[in-house]
Amino acid sequence: MLGGLIEANVQGRPEKRRDFDTLKARVGIKVEDIEEAVTLDFRGGRLLVSNGLKRDRRITIRTDADTVMMLSNLAIGPFGMPVYFDTVGRGIVGKLVTGGLKIDGMLANLATLNQVTRVFSVR
Amino acid sequence: MAKIKAFSPEFATAFKEEINRSAVYKQAGKGWKWTVGLVVEAEPDKNFPEAKGVFMDLFDGEARDIQVVSADDAGKCDFVISAPYSRWKQVMQHELDPTKGMMQGKLKLKGDLPTIVRFTRASQEMTECTTRISVAFPDEE
Repeated sequence: MLGGLIEANVQGRPEKRRDFDTLKARVGIKVEDIEEAVTLDFRGGRLLVSNGLKRDRRITIRTDADTVMMLSNLAIGPFGMPVYFDTVGRGIVGKLVTGGLKIDGMLANLATLNQVTRVFSVR
Repeated sequence: MAKIKAFSPEFATAFKEEINRSAVYKQAGKGWKWTVGLVVEAEPDKNFPEAKGVFMDLFDGEARDIQVVSADDAGKCDFVISAPYSRWKQVMQHELDPTKGMMQGKLKLKGDLPTIVRFTRASQEMTECTTRISVAFPDEE
């Protein structure tokens, strides 16, 4: 589903396509409440989706299914920055603070995380 | 309260009324303008021998029409969600969250995924609406 979401997002959205074409990173997503994990291997204009968490991930997101949906609904504001002050954004910040959302590699890869967020967001 | 037979015309009417009674759906469904078909696949061993469909004409936070139709007709909607009967029963009994079900491939979605994701709250509330209907399931008869 997540691969399909990114594919649909990128099609017909030039600003997301540009991010997708330049994004090179291996990102893991572990959806803990349904015990599903996926590795998204962004290869500069190509995406390889694998089940499970593969090695050498730059970023790993661990959360529940509802928060994955929230991340997909995160608004993108000026300069391509995710908006953390609306309802969805505040919800995500709240999850980060309370441990409901864990992002390994976040601080060292903020620019990449923002790029992934833009590609992932339907907004 | 008398139970309503699952996926019957009476069920469709009750479902429409519940949706239109929901202030949450009215808000969350604002901007939605597509038809949705629910395909309920047959499970003869669960006393559900033939596939059925539910056609939903949802528009801007309102259910304009909901009908039980053939599975083929439901499959012609803008968005189609398909699952075997017992999966739908799990959804209607709060045992399976539709978002999680779609992520796990337990519910199959046809249609523009980003649009569905944008209306996650609305689809969750629609599920809530089904749980508020007292339903008689065919495998419990």
